[in-house]
Amino acid sequence: MELLCNILYDTIYHSTPIILCVLGGLFAYRANVLNIALEGMMLNAAFVSVLVQYLTGNIFLAVLAAIVSTMLWGMVFSALGISFKGNVIVIGLGINLMTLAISKFVLKIMSLANISLKNIGAADFKIDIPLIKAIPILNVISGHPLITYIAFLAIVFVGILMYQTKFGVYVRVVGENEDSAISLGINSVYYKYAAVLLGSFFCALAGINLSLERMAMFTGGMTAGRGFIAIAAIYCGQGKPVVSAGYAILFGVARALAINLSIYAGPAAGMFDIIPYVLMVIVLAVVSYLKSKNEKLRIYKL
Amino acid sequence: MKQKEMIVKNILNSLVPILAAFILGGIIILAIGENPFTTYGILIRKSLFTWKGFLNTLHYATPLILTGLAIAVTFKANVYNMGVEGQMLLGGFFAGVAGAYLPLSTPLVGKLICFVIAALCGMLFALPPALLKARYQVNEMVVTLMLNYAVAKTLEFLTTGVFRDKSAGYVATPVISDTIMFQRIGSSRITAFFGMALIILFLMYILMNHSKLGFEMKAIGKNAEFAEATGMNVGKKIIILMLLSGALSGIAGAGWMMSDQFKYTLSFSENPGLGWDGMLISLLGSHSPIEILIASIFYAALKTGSDSINMYTSVPKEIVEIIQAIIILFLAVKFIKEKTGRKNRWKQSRKEAE
Repeated sequence: MELLCNILYDTIYHSTPIILCVLGGLFAYRANVLNIALEGMMLNAAFVSVLVQYLTGNIFLAVLAAIVSTMLWGMVFSALGISFKGNVIVIGLGINLMTLAISKFVLKIMSLANISLKNIGAADFKIDIPLIKAIPILNVISGHPLITYIAFLAIVFVGILMYQTKFGVYVRVVGENEDSAISLGINSVYYKYAAVLLGSFFCALAGINLSLERMAMFTGGMTAGRGFIAIAAIYCGQGKPVVSAGYAILFGVARALAINLSIYAGPAAGMFDIIPYVLMVIVLAVVSYLKSKNEKLRIYKL
Repeated sequence: MKQKEMIVKNILNSLVPILAAFILGGIIILAIGENPFTTYGILIRKSLFTWKGFLNTLHYATPLILTGLAIAVTFKANVYNMGVEGQMLLGGFFAGVAGAYLPLSTPLVGKLICFVIAALCGMLFALPPALLKARYQVNEMVVTLMLNYAVAKTLEFLTTGVFRDKSAGYVATPVISDTIMFQRIGSSRITAFFGMALIILFLMYILMNHSKLGFEMKAIGKNAEFAEATGMNVGKKIIILMLLSGALSGIAGAGWMMSDQFKYTLSFSENPGLGWDGMLISLLGSHSPIEILIASIFYAALKTGSDSINMYTSVPKEIVEIIQAIIILFLAVKFIKEKTGRKNRWKQSRKEAE
């Protein structure tokens, strides 16, 4: 019983940053600008939020700095990739390496191995929901930091934004057929920029959640491929908000199972870490197989 | 005439990002209160302008040549094999395990066996993403990235558990047997592995520029659907290219194991890793073998130089990683090619109109 509760709680806990990343990557994916810099943007936010909190002790400033700096990376990405028409995959990798290098560089200058906050702890961020807290099993929903609740609400918000608003429709039109969009007078560059920037905003939230809210500390490379898992989830869900978020939660489940069950595994516990990654590959393969089964094209299509 | 122009453009396209990166890096060095010129002086002098330092640089460039080629063969065809890092680790690990546990008495055959094992391991890694890509159009980039993490975790598990050398004070596999170690030449670190990499580079040059597969690689890269329409079996070609890439990465790992590391530790390829470095090198050399050779030497010089920076100045050596990342960012944008290309196209269309 307690194990089940732990698994459910950890599922929500580990899903949050990936859901936010998925939501961040969705619009860019739909606008046909594959943003693989999700990882780096998330790392940047994780680093900046903890660093500013460490230096100033002002939580509001920390969150603001993280969001602004991450959106600046979004601007760099869009400027190089959309305005200068560079290869977005290479730019994305460049940003991933860049943010990692900057965090290592700054840590080295401050001669710290990692930043852990003293005056504030992870427990301070937890918010209990009054009624639900008392119900067994359901109480796993309670006791999460603020951004976790935002993440789950944002799934609905992004779904509405994508399908019910002019903005969402235009982004999808730009992604599906840019020439037609331009011929209709849609400013395609504007919508691509907006898609990437919106994405970097969500990545900033993911990063803040990952470092500041959950652990109150930062270690180098703490994103551990979550941004890429998010991209895998987007591919699995073919860019549909709710479905893609579902795959993100599936990863959370795998992660929660791996952590909670590894206690019973003894020496083989180390192997449990690979479950989430392998699961994602298998899911992606199965989804793509089912998709290609319905297409009767003989030719090779990219 | 046209080819000359292309070469000049290619060189400029690589030099502009490097210059820009060094200028930006210089600003950062200034900001932390150091002199960028002395820092860059130390960075370059030791690694390129002393004989021993230069040979050491060539030694560090060796695995990078191979990982750079591994990236180039797939990127050229617009297939993004991001698993080079993982393939390299896998190759290095199993070459190391084979070298430590198998009774390999003759140096040449022993090395050959290790290289074959490593190449097979790399190909084994590359096969699932290649098949998925060719059959079901699964994005190969995502799959290879995921597998990278899975491989790194698996090897960590194997190193700390099954294959751990209990007598070593830290986490490592047993040291490989002396017979299959590459011997150092003279007082520097360079070994025969460098010569081997040059031979592979030459073979790859012929393959990429003077063979059917090389032509098909470019055709797929330019327009896969058109290539398919002309009767090329694109799926099969992609599988071949991915396997080739995997084999090259595996060999890079095995060579690194037998010429430098001699045992698998958790920092076998350091950070960000030989595979990722290979990607930068391939981009820097615009995916062509000769330029990859130059780029990897330049890059290895940065790497060996970064250690001297750490010793002689107070600038953290991570500055080199920042410079590398800036180079990648700017490399993505082909400033010069893009502009003249458009101008030429415009001229052409005017001519046609007349």
